[in-house]
Amino acid sequence: MLNRRQFIQYSSAAIALAGPLGRALAQSKQASDEFFIFIHAAGGWDVTLWSDPRNERRGIVEPASTANTDTGPIRLWQDAPLDSDVRSFQLIQPPGSRIVFGPGIGRLADFFDRLCLINGLAMNTVSHPDGTAYSATGRHLSGGRALAASVDAMIANELGLTQTFPAVSAQFPSSFAGELDRRAVPLTVERVGSIGRVLARAGAWEKPEERDSVTALLSEEADSLAARAEERGALDGFALQNGSLAKMLGGGLDEVFNENRLKTAWPQFDYKARFQGGRAVNAAFTVEAMKRNLVRCVGFALGGFDTHGNNYKTQAQVQQEAFDLIAELLKTLDTTAHPTRAGRRLSDHCHVLVMSDFCRTPQINLAGGRDHYPNNSALIISGRFKPNYTFGKSDPEQLLPLRAKRFSDGERPIAPPDLLATFLSAFAIPPRRYLRDGEVVPELLRS
Amino acid sequence: MRRVLVLMCFSMCFSACRPPALIPPGATSQLPPSHPPILVDVAPKEAPRLLPAEAYVRTYMQLFGAQTLLEAQQKAKGKDGNQLFDNWGDYLTTLGFPDHRNDLPRARETNALMIATFERLGIALCDRAVERDFHAPMAQRIIFAFDPIDPIDSSQFAERFDVLHRTFLGYPSKLAPPGRIDRYYKLYKDTQTKHAKTRLSPTEAAWSAVCQGLIRHPEFLLY
Repeated sequence: MLNRRQFIQYSSAAIALAGPLGRALAQSKQASDEFFIFIHAAGGWDVTLWSDPRNERRGIVEPASTANTDTGPIRLWQDAPLDSDVRSFQLIQPPGSRIVFGPGIGRLADFFDRLCLINGLAMNTVSHPDGTAYSATGRHLSGGRALAASVDAMIANELGLTQTFPAVSAQFPSSFAGELDRRAVPLTVERVGSIGRVLARAGAWEKPEERDSVTALLSEEADSLAARAEERGALDGFALQNGSLAKMLGGGLDEVFNENRLKTAWPQFDYKARFQGGRAVNAAFTVEAMKRNLVRCVGFALGGFDTHGNNYKTQAQVQQEAFDLIAELLKTLDTTAHPTRAGRRLSDHCHVLVMSDFCRTPQINLAGGRDHYPNNSALIISGRFKPNYTFGKSDPEQLLPLRAKRFSDGERPIAPPDLLATFLSAFAIPPRRYLRDGEVVPELLRS
Repeated sequence: MRRVLVLMCFSMCFSACRPPALIPPGATSQLPPSHPPILVDVAPKEAPRLLPAEAYVRTYMQLFGAQTLLEAQQKAKGKDGNQLFDNWGDYLTTLGFPDHRNDLPRARETNALMIATFERLGIALCDRAVERDFHAPMAQRIIFAFDPIDPIDSSQFAERFDVLHRTFLGYPSKLAPPGRIDRYYKLYKDTQTKHAKTRLSPTEAAWSAVCQGLIRHPEFLLY
């Protein structure tokens, strides 16, 4: 029999071991050849134009129509009767598709057999920063500060620590919180080209070996300070990040981070598109960096969705360009070889999550636009998720999230924490390691 | 019954009017002389953390000897195009500044790219400082306010290293954790010995390396 003291000693040892051991065990069964793309449609998209299409007046829903939308550039827009002189659009359902789209889906409609669509996401917020953080972290902001790590940091922490760049974030709402490895801190930049300029080094003053000696000395200094420190997390991180620096500088990465070279290497992306052209280089960077096995996660933002006024007329075009870009990205991943798995395509091991802050109101406001609304949709393109599948729904008259299923806390709509928990679980990452809330939705996962 | 009530009222009135009881102060006792003084715990209770990025930029300006960002940029670039420095706009996000246009918050932790930015800026600052200071009168030197003798022994190095240590880390090098002066002396000697021909002489390259090792030091960047 154990006495009380022994019991406490053994329990403490077991608890102390549970963290690292559990992680080591979990990591051993996780795949390390997977790549992740996180795309944020910044500003809040109008779901009635693509994922949850509405083409008739019902309840408070005023559909997109020739009265409020520039339909000319929208390739999939086909008039459907609304009023005597105003037309809405016809719903789009490609042959074989179980998903019904609006015309904003653009060329991504051709990939319906890979899409897993989540509708009726309950956001409980209409604030841009809060909605953005809720979508990316599963937690609302507290005092303007993210309380949890974003999904790219979570994945980087689990699967990307050995990569040169565990997580690169070009305006994706990345955040770092909690007891994660400091190498998983997303490298946040405005443009990927900035990374190239930061990594440029001149040879006319000193040689790489001399710079490496300084970096090695600094790692040593950080270790020595960490050994004396009460709280050593930041100093340990400093030493690790100094270690990563040599890897980043030694790889001859000019082509990966030079925007002009990326555009030349990947001409298939539309860099001149009106709304997303400037951000298309992020897609080129994604493919180049994954092809070279440099990154684990790339996050970037697409913009132009926040259309409160007359600019709502362009919402459909903004969406069309965004989804065209994603479609082109998928097509490119299809034709690019996986860097470590012989005979496999990059797209076989690439997982895409597309999210937004929230959706837009079903009504048209006095300025001719749509404001913020606490409903949302999300899109997953991954071999681990059910393809050609829609989960969740919204109210036909008010566009508010409807109960999706019975969760452990009762019937309710699906929410971002559930989606993120499901995403993590698809890669054998225990969601509770990162998420306070949320429940895995097995219905979304491929059996 | 009435008599009891009257008696109770009288007793209550008398007790309420009584003057307050005075409690005389007790004798104070001194701590016995053998008792050790009670120490106040002044140890930091928060982990080392980053300063706001503005503090780094202002410090870099001061160390470049510039009044404005543009002046610092011109001094860092010199006549060498973008070899040592591009422009501040390329570094602001990676230094951790918030991006209000894109709603990106201020960075609160270092990341590998931030470390790379600190290196890029540190190289520019130290190489330009070496070029400037070692050819200027002593009174006009900003960083290297000493005579870079060659050859140099460990005590002569320590004396000069102390000048840099105070400039960058704000305290005498003798108070640093043990081994620091030796480590930097080794860096100096190794760089000087191995330095191939560049724009900098071996001695200049060695002092530049020491300078870089201080401006990128965790104690410079974290507090």
